[in-house]
Amino acid sequence: MTAPTSQPVRPSTGHVLGLIVRREMKVRGTSKAYSLSALAILVLLTGAVLIPQLLSSRTVEVEVGALGEGSREIVDLAGAIMADRVGADRELSFEVTPFDTEAQARAALAAEDVELVVVDGTTVLRQGSSGISGSDVQDAVQRAAALIELEDELAGSGASAAEVESLLSREVLEVSSARGDTNAEEEGARSFIAYAGMMMLYMAILIYGSWTLQGVTEEKSSRVVEVLLATVKPWQLMAGKVIGIGLLGLGQFVVTVGWALLLIRVTDVLPLPVIPVDSAVALVLWFVLGFGLYSVMFAAAGALAGGAEDAQAVAFPISMIAIVGFLVSFQALENPTGGLAQIGTYVPFMAPFVVPIRVAFQEIGLIEHLGAAAATVATMVGMVWAAGRLYAGGALHFGGRMGLRSAWRAADR
Amino acid sequence: MLSITNLSKRYDDVVALDQCSFEVEPGRMLGFLGRNGAGKTTTMRAIFGLVEPDAGTITWRGRPVTPGDRLGFGYMPEERGLYPKMGVADQLVYLGRLHGMSAADARAATARWLDELELGDRTESKLQELSQGNQQRVQLAAALLHSPEVLVLDEPFNGLDPISAQTMARVLRERAAAGAAVVFSSHQLEVVEDLCEDVAIIHDGRIRLTGHVDDLKAAAPHRVIELDLTEAQSAVLGRLDGVIDTSFDGRHHRLRVARDINLGPLLATVDPGAGVDHFVFTTPSLTELFTEAVR
Repeated sequence: MTAPTSQPVRPSTGHVLGLIVRREMKVRGTSKAYSLSALAILVLLTGAVLIPQLLSSRTVEVEVGALGEGSREIVDLAGAIMADRVGADRELSFEVTPFDTEAQARAALAAEDVELVVVDGTTVLRQGSSGISGSDVQDAVQRAAALIELEDELAGSGASAAEVESLLSREVLEVSSARGDTNAEEEGARSFIAYAGMMMLYMAILIYGSWTLQGVTEEKSSRVVEVLLATVKPWQLMAGKVIGIGLLGLGQFVVTVGWALLLIRVTDVLPLPVIPVDSAVALVLWFVLGFGLYSVMFAAAGALAGGAEDAQAVAFPISMIAIVGFLVSFQALENPTGGLAQIGTYVPFMAPFVVPIRVAFQEIGLIEHLGAAAATVATMVGMVWAAGRLYAGGALHFGGRMGLRSAWRAADR
Repeated sequence: MLSITNLSKRYDDVVALDQCSFEVEPGRMLGFLGRNGAGKTTTMRAIFGLVEPDAGTITWRGRPVTPGDRLGFGYMPEERGLYPKMGVADQLVYLGRLHGMSAADARAATARWLDELELGDRTESKLQELSQGNQQRVQLAAALLHSPEVLVLDEPFNGLDPISAQTMARVLRERAAAGAAVVFSSHQLEVVEDLCEDVAIIHDGRIRLTGHVDDLKAAAPHRVIELDLTEAQSAVLGRLDGVIDTSFDGRHHRLRVARDINLGPLLATVDPGAGVDHFVFTTPSLTELFTEAVR
């Protein structure tokens, strides 16, 4: 047996990290599980965009009944209101069935021939509840009834119900921002990016974080971790894994978002806004920070698990923290300058969800933004150190779940 | 020389290592023996920095072992472990590169060792597609790939069939002949006796016996006589001065006798007419040394 042609040279930290990152990306990126999960997400996404499009008719069909005096006037006006609401790109088929008796009306409701019946101009009769989201038809009928009542009040003024409706539907006052001119399209884009960004970040943390968790527990289950730790430092192994899986997750994420945007553009299912640059940059920055922070936590949790069977149990507290961040971000969507949003900005486990929303609504100053990023980066650095220690303590523990304190102390061993 | 000196380690109330000391010389093989839980794995892990000792030192060539030194060491842990879903050659190249080899050297060494271990046709296979014995060969290749100066193997013969065990023994001999310091643990004492020039016997975390096998045998306070006897002769011999005890192993009678026994009276007692065609006077076996040491 001959010796190698050159003596091994101690590799630099960057070289070791590069090797670990490349292995993670090569092995996971070429695995069937990765390809299938990417394909499944794209198929689901395509279905979610296209199926409602295919199922939705270009014609809106509404069938209502009128019984007794005053009802016909209301449903006719409701028809006019609905015709306005469905817009120019769809047609409205609004059919009114007159009934002579309440029994006939009830029979038609039971047979689902009509959605509702206006009785004596005072009551709306339905077969059941209109559900949590209400009913457009019922809403139009209510509005029509109110307008007719208003018309009676304005009798003699010369205003018709249609003119009153037209006036009430207009946005009379112009809205402008104290920070400068803004337009409705950009406001829409900012709301879209705030909401979509928050949802994407939450999903990415849970999906790709669980890959990190799985990667760590797999190395423990296969016992290869002992061979690796005889050569590389625990933090190098953990960081390489987080970066490798993170890049792979980011890649899948970008493909998914790109495919979604393409579908939306092609099908024109949503008015796609032009995303403001500051929002896009903030979204990417906080995606990286949030994913990094949570992935390191997932990696440490993986080191505490005895094997794959314990993985979900040890990851549960981290998932709960992410859920709290997610819930707080809903509050930030409602009120980007509220107390909870401001507190969440400086809590690193919440900031990745909250800050992009505040940036999207332009409700955070540069200093505050930088402060939030600094707090999160500092926490991430501390977390890498702590997780590296937990990883070192837990990585060679193969017998069941390990407590935090035990892993911490075991790192000294 | 790899020197382990006064290594101590406690896990709460459990003493894992207690002033453990022994040395492994380049070009020689040391068998590290002990019962389960004696401290063998803890010692081996300490060599690779996987366990931090409470006290004691581990030195290589007279200096404390550094992470850089460890890149030149090869390790086969007791809990075998490689990536089950990764290709055999790919993971060997990966491990070689983590040890500081260039990509070209790692690929060349991988091909060479897989051929040497008769796995040249399985380079593209995933590890999990190989038999247990072949997986163990890959594990050995992982430890040898970078031509280590120090080779540490925890129970390398466990679970091997006779042919695989012969291959393992041949490779270890070759590495020692090439100048590597080789240390391995095993419960198969006859294998250790056959392969190793040196042994270290550990019990309850403390080294009970260490040194060259031949010297330890020579220094043993007793010798072994193996011969064929009648039952009556066995009873008489058992009462002679210097005979410690007698036993029958199913084929021959074995006498444990004092090292300085006067063989004259003993031989006079044996009746050649009874058909004595087997007589051995020798030092105790490694198994006997081990049993004495851990008793």
